[in-house]
Amino acid sequence: MSRRIIAYATLGFAAVVIAAAAYSREIRAQESPPVTHQVPAAKDGGVVVMLCDGKTSMEVKGLKAGQSMTHEQALQVTRELMAKWQREHPDQKWQIAQKDESSQPVPAPSAAAGPDVSKPSGTVPSPQTGAKSPALGMQQGDTYASFTDRDYKIWKNETEKFVAEGKRIFHDTKELGGTIGVSCDMCHPDASNTHPETYPKYQVQLQKVALLRDMIDWCIENPVKGKAFNPNDPKLRALEAYIYAQRKGTALDYGKH
Amino acid sequence: MAVRHKSVETKYMEDRDAVLKGLRQLDRRTFLKVLAASTGAVMAKGLMPPHSFQLVEVANAAVDKATSASGMAGKPPFTFAYISDTHLYERTLNQRFVRGAVKAVEDVNALDPQPDFVLFGGDLAQLGRRGELDLGKQILQELKAPVKLMVGEHDWFYDLGEAWQDMFGPPTYSFDWKGVHVVVLMSVYEKDFWTARKLSPAERMQIVAGLDNGIQSRFEVGDAQRKWLSDDLAKVPHTTPLLVFSHSPLYKYYRNWNFWTDDAEQVQAILKPYRHVTVIHGHTHQMLQNQIGNISFYGMLSTAWPWPYAPTGLPPLTIQMNRADPFDQFDGLGDGQFNVRPDGLADMIYNLWDRNPVTIKADYLTSRGKTARPPGPQFASY
Amino acid sequence: MKRALLAVSTLLVTFSLCVFLSFAHAQGSDPLADPKSDKQAGFPTDLNSWVIPPDNPQTPAKIALGKALFFEDRLSADGKISCDHCHGPAKGFTDQLPTSMGINAQFGQRNAPSVLNSMFNVTQFWDGRSPSLEAQVEGPVTNPVEMGQKSTDAAVAAIKSVPEYQKQFKEVFGRDPTFADIERAIAAYERTQFAFDSPFDKFMAGDKNAISDSAKRGWSIFNGKGRCMSCHGWNPTQPLFTEMKFHNIGVSAHKSDFVPLARKALDTLRSGASAQDIDKLAIGTDMSGLGRFLVTKQPHDIGAFRTMGLRNLLVTQPYFHDGSQQTLWDTIDHYNKGGVQNPYLDGGIVPLGLTEAQEDDLIAFLSALTSPEYEKAAKEEFDLQFKRSRTNRPQRDTAAANGEKGRAPGLAGPFGDIGPEQTEEDPALLGGR
Repeated sequence: MSRRIIAYATLGFAAVVIAAAAYSREIRAQESPPVTHQVPAAKDGGVVVMLCDGKTSMEVKGLKAGQSMTHEQALQVTRELMAKWQREHPDQKWQIAQKDESSQPVPAPSAAAGPDVSKPSGTVPSPQTGAKSPALGMQQGDTYASFTDRDYKIWKNETEKFVAEGKRIFHDTKELGGTIGVSCDMCHPDASNTHPETYPKYQVQLQKVALLRDMIDWCIENPVKGKAFNPNDPKLRALEAYIYAQRKGTALDYGKH
Repeated sequence: MAVRHKSVETKYMEDRDAVLKGLRQLDRRTFLKVLAASTGAVMAKGLMPPHSFQLVEVANAAVDKATSASGMAGKPPFTFAYISDTHLYERTLNQRFVRGAVKAVEDVNALDPQPDFVLFGGDLAQLGRRGELDLGKQILQELKAPVKLMVGEHDWFYDLGEAWQDMFGPPTYSFDWKGVHVVVLMSVYEKDFWTARKLSPAERMQIVAGLDNGIQSRFEVGDAQRKWLSDDLAKVPHTTPLLVFSHSPLYKYYRNWNFWTDDAEQVQAILKPYRHVTVIHGHTHQMLQNQIGNISFYGMLSTAWPWPYAPTGLPPLTIQMNRADPFDQFDGLGDGQFNVRPDGLADMIYNLWDRNPVTIKADYLTSRGKTARPPGPQFASY
Repeated sequence: MKRALLAVSTLLVTFSLCVFLSFAHAQGSDPLADPKSDKQAGFPTDLNSWVIPPDNPQTPAKIALGKALFFEDRLSADGKISCDHCHGPAKGFTDQLPTSMGINAQFGQRNAPSVLNSMFNVTQFWDGRSPSLEAQVEGPVTNPVEMGQKSTDAAVAAIKSVPEYQKQFKEVFGRDPTFADIERAIAAYERTQFAFDSPFDKFMAGDKNAISDSAKRGWSIFNGKGRCMSCHGWNPTQPLFTEMKFHNIGVSAHKSDFVPLARKALDTLRSGASAQDIDKLAIGTDMSGLGRFLVTKQPHDIGAFRTMGLRNLLVTQPYFHDGSQQTLWDTIDHYNKGGVQNPYLDGGIVPLGLTEAQEDDLIAFLSALTSPEYEKAAKEEFDLQFKRSRTNRPQRDTAAANGEKGRAPGLAGPFGDIGPEQTEEDPALLGGR
């Protein structure tokens, strides 16, 4: 046989192999029965549109079979379909191709004692800062949506330090400017009987409606025999902070005697 | 000198007040008797009050006679006064506390007849310094009646009792008085919390002086002293009434503020066999009462500053006092006395300054609050 | 025809009332005795509506009748003493005597309080023994050292004997004169004696220049170092400078027998004595100094008297329940040194450590509480008191005021801890609180 015949045979065999490979994929594909999605019947005389997951569907009212939608209508329908899908699959990671707030899920109305919607749940760690970004699926682009766990940590640290400073002054007659060796904790251990939740109220010692800091100042001037603080004095503010902190969880009840 | 007459209107108001007061003091049976009697009298004479006023007073006298006949009321076998928790600073630093202590001494000296003795309830000094203790001794020396002293933690923890024992003798002792066995305990021992922290005496005292820091140990009577108590009581028959003077309450009220005695149950167990036991304690600076088994507990007032009621653990039997007014340097403070009954139980009078006195009868505690309930507060602390 | 008759009879009634009024006490014609307008700065509209009892509404006829009775001598046993005898309009509705003089030139134990603003008091008299303005009338009428009537019936009889009064009572109450109606009429007149509109009221309403700088400093001291506000409370709803409670501030203790008397009274009470026993003690001895204790029999009321209001002080001198202090400086000196020590002294009374300048400022503030109709008389009295205060200060005790006496070797009081001067600017200075 000549070399020419072997070349043609090899080419032919390669072609067959390639064809077979290509065809077999199709065959394999065709081996599982083709998926058919059962589209639910229309109830209001419209057209039912379904997602390719075969489950999520919605009815487009006012559309007749065979009629085509306007561009705006089509956008609206796709948004609603996606929203519905996301509601039903809250845990699925969904990468938005474009920033389009209108495609975000409509949050469910929260019950009275519902989950804390103030802090975003389900955060995605960012590789660079280690701080977590708010979850996708939450409103974006404003101040309160941009806070991270690290921010919360900083704030808590500051707050607790401020309260601790107040606690320190509360227990220290010299810090209070007292001149007779009396400090707040002597009459108010653990800030008891300070009832900050009852302010504003008519304070009989002052004979006027007072706020907590007015009473603190009065006590410093009278039983503690010190100099009343200016309302903006950081020491007074720290004292106020400590007293409020001790009553966390107590219901506000202004005017109570 | 012009004779002062009251107008008819004033007299009427006063008579009416006396009647109402008299009526409140009657128990139910006597009240019904009075009601029946006055109705009968009114119908017989065809008269209206105020003539019926006199009937109430007659009924009152009858009640007094009846109770004294049973030997329960009437004159007590003895009375003793108390002054407690003066917390004196040096005079040059703070005179308000000095004024309080002096006021208490004046009150007790004005009692007529004088009490058999005066119990001092502990915490004479504020920071345990010898100068403060000296000042306290000077003030108490003005008392006409003899003084029985008890030690508090503010007196002890600067020098671990050195100055106190030097000036006033041993902190634990007992004596008999008119048929009652009296025990004075040092109930504010604390397990060592200062050595490991390398605290100076002043620092140690400062920590003990703070109620809410949680660093100091809880009070205790301690093994040694409990043994002493058992031995002391071994010679005392179980029918003899006991008076126990202690600075800490000898029960567990509020741990965070050391309103607490760690070995309270063990101490109570030693006291249990005795029929009539009254514990009188200081430290809490408030009106406070409790009944545990056969033991009645009374808390004394301070002369220095009042304390609010603790958030938990307050004995339900306690008749609370009204919230103190910080404008009034004496409010929520005071002294008082105990009227010891023939059976050895004691009625306590809280002589609250700037307020009406409150009497807690022993019957109120022993009946677990069913009889003789005194008036309650309008605004307690919170 | 009927309408004309009505008009004529009304005219006649009014005319006869005027004629009749002219027979009443001369002072009744003093413009200071007229019903006052309620259009005054600082007038407490809400409070005023709360204090008018439903069974005694204000009507012009009733007020006119009440005014006539207020100046009516016939109410007393000897026909010489009317209400205005001790509560004269020109003298701030007081008599400016230490204690009042009544029938047969007998002196009582207490200083006559002013009728001005008395309708806002919770109770009447220094010891609060009378619950209302109406009930208060009976007190002086039947008191043997005041108007001396044996009973209220005698007073009613005296009024009934005047045909004019018969007519007025029929007009106003629809019946013959009774003592209760006399009380109602007089109370109705008293309820027209408002006294606000002072420079201070205008200052609090926003006029920053209404009071002097000294008075502003005084207002700041009143709220702060002086500790006055806690008992002499002022707020727009109840702007009377009193919280209407009772305190022992140690005035009775000026008299040396007060303490033994008080102990005796207490022992009497403790031993289970009746109201009659206390009464005997009251009649037989000078117990007036025991104050509210005689009314309530409660130990904490021994020597306690009502916190008085502070308006128009410069026309209602002398001061305190026994009229024992002549000038405002004497009263402030009393407080400054911590009152007079006694076992029942209210714990709120402590040495204050006010300097002379601070006392002057405080009194400048008190002067700013004068209502316009008394301004002239008040200025004259202020000048007199000021002159006296420069030389004559019987109550002043600077060592006690500064708490220095407590540092003496002796242990007896008074004691005090005077705190440091307050340096932060008080909002009171700016017209706030």
